[in-house]
Amino acid sequence: MIADAAAKLGIDVPVYCYHEALGPLGACRMCLVQVEKMPKLATACTTAVSEGMVVHTRGPAVDKGRKGVLEFLLINHPLDCPVCDKGGECFLQDYTFQYGPPAGRFEEPKIQKVKDGPINEFILVDQERCVLCQRCVRFMGEYVGEPQLLLEGRGVETVVTTVDHEPATSQFSGNVIDLCPVGALLSVPYHHKARPWNIEREESVCTLCPVGCTTLATGRDGHIVRIEGRPVPDRSWGWLCDRGRFGFDFAVNPSRLITSYLEGREEAAARTTRQVGQWLRDAVSQHGGNSVAFVAGGLHSTEEAYQLNRFAREVVGTERLAVSRDVPGYLPRGLNGTFADIDDADAVVLIGTDPYESVPVVHLRLRDRARALPSLKLMGVAPRSLSRETLRVDTLVTHVGQEAAVLAAALSDAARGHAVLAELVSNGLGDLSGIDGEALAELGSTLVNSEHLTVLWDGLEADVEPVLVALQSVRGDKPTRVLPTWGPSNWRGFERAGFDARIESLTGILEDARDGKLQMLVLWGADLLREYPDQELVRQAYARVPVLVAESLFPPAGHESFKAILPQAGPGEVYGTYVNMEARLQVAMPSVQPPGQARPTKTYVTAWARAMEKPFVLQEDWDPYDDNSGDLVPEESVPREVRPIAPASSAPDGYELITGVLVIENGIPSDFLKPRVPQYPGRISPSDADRLGIRNQAVIKLSREGREMTAAVAVDPAMTPGRIYMPLGLADAPVNALGTGAVNVTVIEEVHSA
Amino acid sequence: MSQTFYLLRNREVPQIGHMDVYREHGGYDALKKSLAEFEPEQLVDLVKRSGLRGRGGAGFPTGVKWGFLPKDGRPRYLVVNSDEAEPGTFKDRELIENNPHQLIEGMIISSYAIGAGQAYVYCRGEFLKGSEELARAVKEAYAAGFLGENILGSGFSLDIFVYRGAGAYICGEESALLESLEGRRGNPRLKPPFPAVAGLYGMPTIVNNVETITNVPAIVTHGAEWYTSMGTEKSPGLKIMSVSGKVNRPGNYEIPLATPLRTLIEEYAGGMQEGRSIKCVIPGGSSVPLLMPDKLDTPLDYESVLQAGSMLGSGGCIVLDDTVCIVRAAARLVKFYREESCGKCTPCREGTYWMTDVLDRIEAGAGNEADLDMLLDIADNMNGKCFCPLGDASLGFMVSAIKHFRDEFEAHVREHRCPLGAKVYDTVNY
Repeated sequence: MIADAAAKLGIDVPVYCYHEALGPLGACRMCLVQVEKMPKLATACTTAVSEGMVVHTRGPAVDKGRKGVLEFLLINHPLDCPVCDKGGECFLQDYTFQYGPPAGRFEEPKIQKVKDGPINEFILVDQERCVLCQRCVRFMGEYVGEPQLLLEGRGVETVVTTVDHEPATSQFSGNVIDLCPVGALLSVPYHHKARPWNIEREESVCTLCPVGCTTLATGRDGHIVRIEGRPVPDRSWGWLCDRGRFGFDFAVNPSRLITSYLEGREEAAARTTRQVGQWLRDAVSQHGGNSVAFVAGGLHSTEEAYQLNRFAREVVGTERLAVSRDVPGYLPRGLNGTFADIDDADAVVLIGTDPYESVPVVHLRLRDRARALPSLKLMGVAPRSLSRETLRVDTLVTHVGQEAAVLAAALSDAARGHAVLAELVSNGLGDLSGIDGEALAELGSTLVNSEHLTVLWDGLEADVEPVLVALQSVRGDKPTRVLPTWGPSNWRGFERAGFDARIESLTGILEDARDGKLQMLVLWGADLLREYPDQELVRQAYARVPVLVAESLFPPAGHESFKAILPQAGPGEVYGTYVNMEARLQVAMPSVQPPGQARPTKTYVTAWARAMEKPFVLQEDWDPYDDNSGDLVPEESVPREVRPIAPASSAPDGYELITGVLVIENGIPSDFLKPRVPQYPGRISPSDADRLGIRNQAVIKLSREGREMTAAVAVDPAMTPGRIYMPLGLADAPVNALGTGAVNVTVIEEVHSA
Repeated sequence: MSQTFYLLRNREVPQIGHMDVYREHGGYDALKKSLAEFEPEQLVDLVKRSGLRGRGGAGFPTGVKWGFLPKDGRPRYLVVNSDEAEPGTFKDRELIENNPHQLIEGMIISSYAIGAGQAYVYCRGEFLKGSEELARAVKEAYAAGFLGENILGSGFSLDIFVYRGAGAYICGEESALLESLEGRRGNPRLKPPFPAVAGLYGMPTIVNNVETITNVPAIVTHGAEWYTSMGTEKSPGLKIMSVSGKVNRPGNYEIPLATPLRTLIEEYAGGMQEGRSIKCVIPGGSSVPLLMPDKLDTPLDYESVLQAGSMLGSGGCIVLDDTVCIVRAAARLVKFYREESCGKCTPCREGTYWMTDVLDRIEAGAGNEADLDMLLDIADNMNGKCFCPLGDASLGFMVSAIKHFRDEFEAHVREHRCPLGAKVYDTVNY
């Protein structure tokens, strides 16, 4: 289109309705240009460029046309710019200054419509300001596939509203605020909060899930008041999920740590810091450096992890460094793909993960690809169906712990005789009865024969790693790229900073702590009781280690076990680099100061070094970027050896507890998002609910071998029978207290819906 | 004088809408002839040679349109546009209400010609009677074996579906019609792709007006030469004109094209009512500019009317007499477009709203000198800049009215009232 060509050349063509991701519409008529040999003015957004075409983007006819369109847009516009949130960053204002008429000629009464009507909890619509560009309607309907907005009425009475006037529930609803070129769709948290000239709007990165969406963070008077999507040319449209867009209020959540706790009492952070330094000094002098272990996690930046790493190794002298992990899987850097691998894929396989829930914006990317390439092969291997209305996924439904074996079986079948596969399944495949042979053959063929294979993996089953290594070996030169969907969101960054991200290191530290071999355990943003897959081991370790210290945004679970808790400075409060699931380094600028006594890592480690009376100068110029790998973490070759996978165990008779990441429930609290947090986060299939006598929702007890947990579940028609799904990492229903797999189910209380 | 040539030849026959009566008058003979004697391509060629042009308003050659269908094996559809909502036009209404089989026969022949297995009639929302008549006639045609599987043993199968819209003028625009037919909001689509390439449900689709399709059996029966023997070389054949206004016999008249406007008004429609004289004429439905009485000798064919400064359009001939307030008429017509604008594109949505308010104000005596030039400037800002033809259609009458009757507009401004007094305001019949 002419509009795209002009944009590439840096020529300004004003548009309202056109958006490259949504395709041409031709409604607003703002982008009029003069094309030679065309009798009328043409719209740049709907006219395809052709060889030899001559286009004039200015000139008397063009200018008069645009002036006319702007005059039309303004006759029914309320011109309440002085009280409009968009005032100062509004395309209607900008284009009117640039192309518009100097004065209005319209003397008749303006049409009156709804002002500040609700779209949902987060979004208001001012129908009077709307220019009816339809970006929001088309985004929700065509792009997201959740058509919850529509045009109602006709002609000048047309308005944007929600279907049946019910609140829009899509988790991508907030994007319409960014898409709106005028002040018609407004953010509720930002409503009447600030003007463009009294804010700090910094380029940032969302750290609430591994996608690492690029954002703009708006700070005013020391608080972040708004997060917007930030498009990156040729890489990202700048979409966000509502979790990332509206979840920024964790920084001012009442439970946020802004002072420190020493032996359970509130204490000035400086005094607690000194005390921790003293403990470190004692531990190192009496038991040696390796008696102290550090676990990095949470929302820390790569630089902070690097500072902690250097402090631990150089000052404390320990090698016990691990990353907090909530799933056991690990992905070698050499297999790690980027989002471009989704755009290029002819086949995508989802292992365990439901992108809609774990990495929402990747779901949009997959949908984008599926729309561009209708023949895209989209398959899943998971203990539940991963198909959704917005994205059809042929799921091969397994039992818990069978994903690796199923993949290996499919692979062995399709690439018979490959040496690496013999090694992979040298312990046997185990019991895969009940797995559909045809589906297995189709999976094998997709894995082996696709030209560009992209895999998304949730990491819940560690044995998938050798299968992926073997898969790559079988496929040879054909791209085989994997995107890990697990947290902590910056785990690859911690690895880049010198931490071992494999779960074995963490398990070793916890076992040593449990066995009394550790003197001191420092948790750097890690909340292990909530995160680590075996909660019992963490409990025992906490009980045994003499000095347990945490630095955190929020009080960690089991905080009574901690001798000291220090307040952490969060993202948006420190400069930092974050590595997302693509292994891509992205810089976030701070927009505000850390609240209260929260301090960045550097402050703590330098204070401790002083307390330990050891020289420690932090190298200021360390840069996580590598000269040869651009903004990606340096490539590594894929390991050649393949470890054999464990044989699949037989299907259990009764129910199975399964889990997965639900990004809204990732442990970072948000008052804004409370309406979106499900009250009954667990899910059960209608047939199972029927058998248990549950109509809509219930509180149930799950138990196995003496361990138990209660779970609030709701009936979900999409749920696979025989499975009880609970999101990973819920504080009041920790899946890691029980572990996935066979469970007994008893209903405690059935709850009828209102 | 109530001479009718072909499409309306049976208008006086009682019960012509029923299968047996229709067949007694030669009905479905053209279908039999088509299936027995013609290959589909020969029919397309026949229609091409007949020079038949679209009767919905644009006048695009029908055979040429049929030739645009890509030959790629995808299913094809025929959609008959019966969303006749142009003020002053009521020809399709008579065709489907009185003689539905004639249309159905045309649809079967046309579908056979273009290779469509399904055909749709999209009726205007207000055409309750017409759509019911059509639905009844379709049922009769199924029973008689003219619809359904293997029609008359020819191997050709066709289903016809009758739909009624929700009452929107914009759905007469073919792509908006398709949107509405698919169950969506009736907004026009971006072209290209044109419906012939990607129309109903994304498949190749031919959208034709009721009158156009109704001409097809006649051409099959009498041949292309018979058709081209009427009218002019570029505008051959017959056209139904709907005459309204203060004439003695308002109604539908079928004329050979190139019949003079004067003949239509004075002979067919019986001339003006006692004491009335012609102020101006809208020859082709509300979307076209007016013609002054000095153009009454204009032959009614596409080219001549265009040359005279207007368009033949849909053939809705509105005769305005000397008692009509031209400002009032313009205000009322523009208001129609304001109500019917779909709201998709800015100039049409806002421009029609603005012009209506200004015209109302002038008519009420609250206008000022600058308003007239402002109206023309608004029209200029809309002209050629709207998404679909509706926006431009709203301008034709008003701009020509200001051009020819500027005195009358200025008198409203100067005297702060309508100089014609409180005379008949309902002359444009709404």
